[in-house]
Amino acid sequence: MIGVYLHIPFCRLLCPYCDFVKRPYKGAAPDRFVDALVTEIERFEGPREACSVFFGGGTPSVLTREELERIFSALRQRFTVAPDAEIGFEANPDDITPEALAAWRELGINRLSVGVQSFDDGALTYLGRAHGAKAAHQACEWTAEAFSNWGMDLIFGAYPVESWGRTLAACRAHAPPHISTYGLSYEPKPPFAKRAREAVDDDVYIAQYEAAHTAFENHLHYEVSNFALPGYESQHNLLYWRNAEYAGFGPGAYSFLDGIRSRNLSRFRDYERDPGGKSEALKLTPSEIRVETVIQHLRLREGLEKRVYVERFGRSLEADYGEAIRGLVQRGLLEDEDGCMRPTLKGFEQNSEIGLALLG
Amino acid sequence: MATPLDRIRNFCIIAHIDHGKSTLADRFLQLTGAVDERNFQDQSLDTMELERERGITIKSVSVRLTYTADDGTEYVLNLIDTPGHVDFSYEVSRSMAACEGALLLVDAAQGVEAQTLANAYKAIEQDLEIIPVINKIDLPSADVDMARRQIEEVVGLDGDSAILASAKEGIGTQEIIEAIIGRVPPPKGNRDAPLKALIFDAVYDTYRGVVIHTRVKQGRMRKGMTIKMMSNGLQYDVNELGVFTPAIKPAESLETGEVGYVICSIKTLKATKIGDTITDVANPAPHPLPGYQEVNPLVFCGLYPAGETDYEELRDALERLQLNDGSFQYTPDSSDALGLGFRLGFLGLLHMEIIQERLEREFDLTLVTTIPNVGYRVLKSSGEEMIIENASQMPAPNEIERIEEPYIEAEIITPTAFLGAVCDLCKDKRGIHVRIDYIDNNRCMVFYQLPLAEVVMDFYDRLKTISRGYASLEYRLLDNRPGKLVRLDILLNGEPVDALSTIVHRDRAEQIGRTLASRLQRLIPRQQYEVAIQAAVGNKIIVRETVKAMRKNVTAKCYGGDITRKRKLLERQKEGKKRMKQVGRVEVPQEAFMALLQVDGDRDK
Repeated sequence: MIGVYLHIPFCRLLCPYCDFVKRPYKGAAPDRFVDALVTEIERFEGPREACSVFFGGGTPSVLTREELERIFSALRQRFTVAPDAEIGFEANPDDITPEALAAWRELGINRLSVGVQSFDDGALTYLGRAHGAKAAHQACEWTAEAFSNWGMDLIFGAYPVESWGRTLAACRAHAPPHISTYGLSYEPKPPFAKRAREAVDDDVYIAQYEAAHTAFENHLHYEVSNFALPGYESQHNLLYWRNAEYAGFGPGAYSFLDGIRSRNLSRFRDYERDPGGKSEALKLTPSEIRVETVIQHLRLREGLEKRVYVERFGRSLEADYGEAIRGLVQRGLLEDEDGCMRPTLKGFEQNSEIGLALLG
Repeated sequence: MATPLDRIRNFCIIAHIDHGKSTLADRFLQLTGAVDERNFQDQSLDTMELERERGITIKSVSVRLTYTADDGTEYVLNLIDTPGHVDFSYEVSRSMAACEGALLLVDAAQGVEAQTLANAYKAIEQDLEIIPVINKIDLPSADVDMARRQIEEVVGLDGDSAILASAKEGIGTQEIIEAIIGRVPPPKGNRDAPLKALIFDAVYDTYRGVVIHTRVKQGRMRKGMTIKMMSNGLQYDVNELGVFTPAIKPAESLETGEVGYVICSIKTLKATKIGDTITDVANPAPHPLPGYQEVNPLVFCGLYPAGETDYEELRDALERLQLNDGSFQYTPDSSDALGLGFRLGFLGLLHMEIIQERLEREFDLTLVTTIPNVGYRVLKSSGEEMIIENASQMPAPNEIERIEEPYIEAEIITPTAFLGAVCDLCKDKRGIHVRIDYIDNNRCMVFYQLPLAEVVMDFYDRLKTISRGYASLEYRLLDNRPGKLVRLDILLNGEPVDALSTIVHRDRAEQIGRTLASRLQRLIPRQQYEVAIQAAVGNKIIVRETVKAMRKNVTAKCYGGDITRKRKLLERQKEGKKRMKQVGRVEVPQEAFMALLQVDGDRDK
C-alpha cells in the first residue's frame, strides 16, 4: 500500500513566497499537461494498492470537472484505491463554490484543505494572495457544509504582526477539524528572498507559534505545524512523517519507493516530453533511511516507539541513537515515556536540533 | 664589450598610482624596440596579477633599453622600476640609490599627490637629477599651468623645465628620453676598483632560485666569481649574470654603472637583504655602500587556518610564499580560541593585505585573520624591557612601568573641501596637529602625528571614504612614545577569548569595546544557552551584550520530497557547526574573528 500524490502545478496568481513547482494558469490547464499526467499514471510500474490520494500544488482547484474526471479515471484504472482511503484535495478560496464542492465530492474526494492563509486583508496583501478575508470566510462556510473532513492552512509571521491573533480567533469560529499553521519563510528562490530581512524576530515567531498552540487546545497538536481533532489527522501526510512509501505524479513530484527517493523532471517541457522521467533518483543507504525515519517520526507528537523501530529495522533504537536521544531528553526537546520518544513543544520549536543531534 | 660610462643613464619614475607610470614605461619599451608590437601586452612591467588589478607595482622590475639618440650615438638606458606604496619606502630608497636621475610624473588633471611628493623628496635627498613630466595633457580636465605651479611651489623644482606628455597617446616620449640623456648625469665609479654592487631588489624564480637585481657601483662582476654579501658575510659563486631587455639576457660581466641580475644558487629570499653590498671575495672592498638597514616589521597579525584549510597547508604556503617574498616574517603561534597558527609581521597595512590575499589566492587557503596591531615597547617594574607583538603577551597591569607605542608623521594631501573631515578623523585617531600647508586654493597638505596603531586599524579606508577617494596619505615612522595603553579583553560567558584581545588607548577602550561587543552579538548565532559578551579592561567589565538563547530552529513545512533534502541541509548545518570555533561552550563562527577587523568602520549601530 502506498500513498499517491498528484502535483497540479497551476496557479491563478503566483504567491511571492511559494517555493513549489508552478506556473501561471491561463483559463484552462493545457491538454498537454493532463495528457502527460494521465500517461505517467498509466506507465507507472510500482504497487497497485493505494491507501491515500492527495492532490496538491500549485492549485488543484483550478482544474475543470472534465480534467479531474480524466485524471480520476486513470487513477482508478491503474490503482486499487482502498474504500476507506483518504482522497485529499487542496483548494483556494477563490475557486470554492457550492457547485465545485459538490462536483469534487461526486468524484470521490473526501477531504478538503482550504488555502485560507489569513483572515486579515492586510496580511493577505502582504502575502500577495489573490483572495480577501471575506472570500476566505465564505469559502470556509461552504466547505464546512459540504465536507465533514476539512481543514485550513494558515501562515504566521506575516505583517501586520497583530493580524495573527485575529486570524486565530476567526479560525476558531469556523471550527475546522484540521488546521495547519506554517511560519512564513523567505526561501532563496521565490521573490520573497529579497525581503528576507523583513522576517520577524525569533521571539515573535515563537510567540505566534505558541499562540496557535494555545488557541487550538481542543485539537491535538499532532505534528510540528499541524492540529487535528481525533481521527482527522492527514492520513496522507502521516505517510511522509512515518517515512512510508509514496508515488508522486506531476512535474517536480517526489517519490519514495523501494528505498529510492526520486524526483520527476520539473521543467514543464521536459515533463510533458517524458512523463515520469526522473531528474534525480537516489538509492538511500539503510543508515540514511534509518536516520530519516527517526527524524521524521520526531516531527510527530506520537513520536517513535522503540518497538516500532526494532520491528522495522531489526535493530535497537538504543544502540543506534541512545546517546543522542538521552542528550535531547536532557535538553527538554524529547520525552521518553514508556519506551516511546516524543517531542515536547520545545522539541517542535527546535525540531532541527533533534535532526542535528541524530546526525551525530 | 663594456658600454662606456658616458653612454649609460640610470633612472627611475616617481609617480602616484594611476598617474601613468606603467603606460609611460610601456611607451619606452616600444620606442626602443625592447618589446615588439606583436608581443606587446599593456603594462609589461607589472607582472603580478594582483599588481594589474590594483594598478600598483608591488615588486620592482628593471629593464635595459638601447636607444640611438638624435646625434647618432647609442645609449644604454636602465629604467629601474620602484615599488609604488608607502609600506615599501625603504625599498624605494634603495631603488633610487641605483639611479642618477628620476622622472617625476605628475597628472595634469590631479596635480601632485602625497606619495609622489614623499618620493620626490627622497630623490632630492639622494641628489638625483629630477625631470618633471606633466602627463595626461590630452585629458579635457588637464590643467598644465596648475601642474607647473605645483611642481614649483610644492616640490620646489623648476616648473618650466617640465616636459608635457601623454603616455597614453605617445606624446612626449621621445622628448623625455632625449632629456634623460641630456640632463641625467652618467654614472661615476672606477671600473678597476674592488667590486661594490648594490642589491636593490631580489625575486624568486621557481627554476633558478633567487634572482638578485643589482647596480654595480664600482669594479666589475664576472661570471664564475665568488662574491660575498657584506651584511652577513655569506659567500656564493656567480652562476649567471646579465641584463633585462626586459627578457633575461645572460652576459659575461656587469661593469661599473651597469644594472642587471645575478644568479648564484641562493635558495631563499631571506638570505638576500635589499640594500646590501656585494663584493669580490678575492679582492674585497673595505667598506659597504651607505644606507643599508635591517627592515623591521611594523604591523602584526595572527593568521589561522579556517574551513577546509589545515595548519600544515598554511605552513607550507607560508614557506613557499617566503621564497619569493622576503618582506614579511612569520613565527608559529597558538591561540586558545583559534588553535595552531602563525603570527605574521608586515611592513605596513597594505603589505599585510597583499600577503593575505596572495595566500588565499595563490594557495587557495581559507584563513582567519586577527585584529592587526603594532609592536609595543613595555618597560616592566622589574627593569626588564620587552617588545610585544601580540596583546596576549602583555604582562599584568601591576608589572608594567610604562608602555610605549610607535608614532608616525602622516602627510595627507586633500582637497580643502574635506579638510574639516580629515582633521576630525585625525583627532578621533588621537592625532597631534602639526601644521597645514596650502598647495593652492583647492588643496592642502595636512601634517599630523598619529599613533601607528590607530592608522593600522582602518584609517586609510575612512580617509578614502570621507574624502570620496581624493585624499592621499604618506607617512614616516617617528619614534616610540609612552601612552595610556591598556589591554581590552573580550569574554564569552566569562571566558576571555585570546584572539580577540587588543591593546587600545584607555580613553577609547569603552567605545571600541562597545563596537566589538555589538558586532559579535550580531555574528554569534543563538545557541542552547544565553551567551554573555563582555568587554573588559583588567578585572573591570566595561560593556556587556547578550545573545539570547535559541528558541527556534525548525523547518515549518516538511513533506515527502523534502525529507532527503532536509537531511542534507541538516548535514550541511552540522558541517558548518564543526567549522565554528568552540570557545568554552560557545560556538563562534569564523567570520566573527574576521569581521572584527574593521572595528571603526562599524557605523550601523
